[in-house]
Amino acid sequence: MGTWDGLLTGFAFALQPGVLVYCVLGVTLGTLIGVLPGIGAMAAISLLLPITYYIGAEAALIMLAGVYYGAQYGGAVSSILLRLPGTPQSAVTALDGYPLARSGRAGVALFTSMAASFAGSVLGIVVLVLLAGWLSRAAVAFGAADYAAMMVLGLVAASTIGSAHPAKGFAMIVLGMLLGCVGTDVNSGVQRFVIGRAELLDGINLVALAMGLFGVAEVIGNVRDPGRQAVAGRIALRTLIPTREDLRRMPLPVLRGGALGSFFGALPGTGSTLSSFLAYAMERRVARRPERFGTGAIEGIAGPEAANNSAAITAFVPTLTLGIPGDPIMALMLGALVIHGIQPGPMMLEARPEMFWGLVASFGIGNLLLLVLNLPLIGIWVSLLRIPFRWLYPAILVFVCLGVWSVRGLTFDILMVAGIGLVGYLLALARFNPALLLLGFVLGPLIETNLRRALLISRGDPMVFLERPISAFFVVAAAALLVHSLVQARGRRRAVGAAAPDDGAR
Amino acid sequence: MTRLTRRAALALAAACAAAPALAQDGWPSGPLHVYVGFPAGSSPDTLARIVTEPLAERLGQPIVVENRPGAGGVIGIQQMLVAAGDDLTFGTTINGPLTTAQRTMDDTGYDVDADIVPVTLIATSPLVLAVNAESDIADLQGFVDAAGAEPEALAYGSVGQGSGAHLTAELFAAEAGVSMLHIPFTSYAEVTTSIAGGEIDAGFMAPSAALPLVEGGQLRMLGITSAEPFAQVPDVPVMAGQAGLPEDFRAELWNGFIAPADTDPAVVERLNTEINEILADPAVQEQLLAIGWVAAPGTAAGMEERIAQDTAMWGGVLDRIEAAE
Repeated sequence: MGTWDGLLTGFAFALQPGVLVYCVLGVTLGTLIGVLPGIGAMAAISLLLPITYYIGAEAALIMLAGVYYGAQYGGAVSSILLRLPGTPQSAVTALDGYPLARSGRAGVALFTSMAASFAGSVLGIVVLVLLAGWLSRAAVAFGAADYAAMMVLGLVAASTIGSAHPAKGFAMIVLGMLLGCVGTDVNSGVQRFVIGRAELLDGINLVALAMGLFGVAEVIGNVRDPGRQAVAGRIALRTLIPTREDLRRMPLPVLRGGALGSFFGALPGTGSTLSSFLAYAMERRVARRPERFGTGAIEGIAGPEAANNSAAITAFVPTLTLGIPGDPIMALMLGALVIHGIQPGPMMLEARPEMFWGLVASFGIGNLLLLVLNLPLIGIWVSLLRIPFRWLYPAILVFVCLGVWSVRGLTFDILMVAGIGLVGYLLALARFNPALLLLGFVLGPLIETNLRRALLISRGDPMVFLERPISAFFVVAAAALLVHSLVQARGRRRAVGAAAPDDGAR
Repeated sequence: MTRLTRRAALALAAACAAAPALAQDGWPSGPLHVYVGFPAGSSPDTLARIVTEPLAERLGQPIVVENRPGAGGVIGIQQMLVAAGDDLTFGTTINGPLTTAQRTMDDTGYDVDADIVPVTLIATSPLVLAVNAESDIADLQGFVDAAGAEPEALAYGSVGQGSGAHLTAELFAAEAGVSMLHIPFTSYAEVTTSIAGGEIDAGFMAPSAALPLVEGGQLRMLGITSAEPFAQVPDVPVMAGQAGLPEDFRAELWNGFIAPADTDPAVVERLNTEINEILADPAVQEQLLAIGWVAAPGTAAGMEERIAQDTAMWGGVLDRIEAAE
């Protein structure tokens, strides 16, 4: 079956009322759980899993997928409005979305995120349809050395995110990497920093860390400083509509973010959280005036949102073409298919074309629905800001606790989020940037595990990083970028002199 | 006279059969909670749901599957024990937390003998040895020859230090008289990708993890660790007795139903009976097979024996690994 015929079959299948209704259900639910801080796609899909026994396998998959990519849309809403990432992937969206919302342009920030999410998804779908075969081969070709080198490049590229104070930035990244060490070391099996708690053996819960650093810390900060209320004030219609200047700033970041996300999404194990961070870093890198970032740059919303949405689409590539789930949520969806007696894999395209193409078509339909659903909702979301903080903040804390609990059902994680929130508040007081901590936390274990794994496989020969072409490319690119930044920094220092450093932590 | 005796014997038998039912009069008084140490949608979770669904019907009370993933299933048992005390809290678990966790973890927080009562084994799952489809290794003998060429000539992947895949590979290596380089990963997805990409040579894994890549022509299966051929992959030869392995070579993961130690023995007996009847249903057996498990009903004592046997067997493998380090 050709691509065109396949798509036609897919749309014919996905547009049947009995299937479409599950797509609508999925994306609507996805948006909602995305908006709620901490309650992520993982928890929602786990809860929906028993229901999938009673509906067809195709409809079940379409619904669960809808929850997954729908959550990426919703996650940005609370990030932008409340500096409270609905999902870890959207944490970075808060860096520029929140300042923009505080300056009275919440509507524009939301519009940007929705439009970028949609465009990123469309890009992801195009990549999925045209390049699925190539991407799945790339996913298999990537070895431990390649991942390690790529993550080093990512670290170098991202180390400048939102901090004009390099020492403070590095401190946060290193702290994040150290926190990433908590738990059982994959390579040696040694238990590190677990203080005798089995709950920490699998590491610190990412959701607890993200919600604590951003959400809970923000709530504490606002309780201490009630004058910060009344951000929203009166919302005039014109603040919802982006200016021509805003629109002009969107397309390129969306393309770059979407391309980056499409690539990272297809690589098993890297995930969409990383892709949105790296997209943000990339935008800051290529910007002519990087100092605008952290104060409400449209590019800082458009890039990451396009990236995490395209990654959510291409994450299906290894799952569907190889039967290899790239992240825990994909593993869950694969499990849902197996319950129905379907083993996803290279044979699926031939054995069940209506499932593969139906799913692809549902991505298109679902994203269109999300756009249609969310654009009119912008006004309603923004009015959330008019809820008095004395009602809003207790509610937020309840949702954060529920969300964190929903990941593993452990009270321990709720205590963790409270502790992390306190630390996050102290960090914010000292003007450290929590986004960098989160980045170190995500990247650190990936670098460590893959570096040591690559050396294990090469029997200790470090040349493996230069002998493998993919790895060599990333090593050289990382070195070049490092040199470039150093040269640039020296040049700037000469030009600007010792200007007072402005930092973008808040 | 004979008739009377026979009738009396029948009455006696009926009374005996009814005795446990009397002891647990009114049980279950409310919904049951079954703790699973793995996330929803995972193979152990699906297995638990396949068994608890008909069980709920038979007991006339709903059963809530409580997923408490973490630490290789240990968290699930810990949480079951925290919630215990009402005769309505149970768990299903894979073998690791009952056999090897006490060795591989600093402190599991529970004592298998003192805190847990086995109810029944539910199912077992063998592992297959898979290599890259383009590898020169044609069969198990070829694999042992290649692995024996020099120490650590071949690298294999597992799903973590002390995991079933790791220990099975080390047991295999010890029995075959070879030594292989262990590369720990965290999921079968990573292991199969790494073998397909030619980065590592082999891995022991659940048949369902290998199957999609075998069908796609990227992996090849050389042997299976069960005593008999496995219906999910009927063409894969049994390892026992081949390539210098002993005739009784067998390494299986299993999954069992457990209860907290203070559970009423009559309740344990009732559950054992019900679950054994459920596992006798061919439809249930088929569902289990589809996710890579073969039904293995039995007595509570049988499960207790299996725990003791496997603790000793894997303990020996762990001793050798520690000695080699």
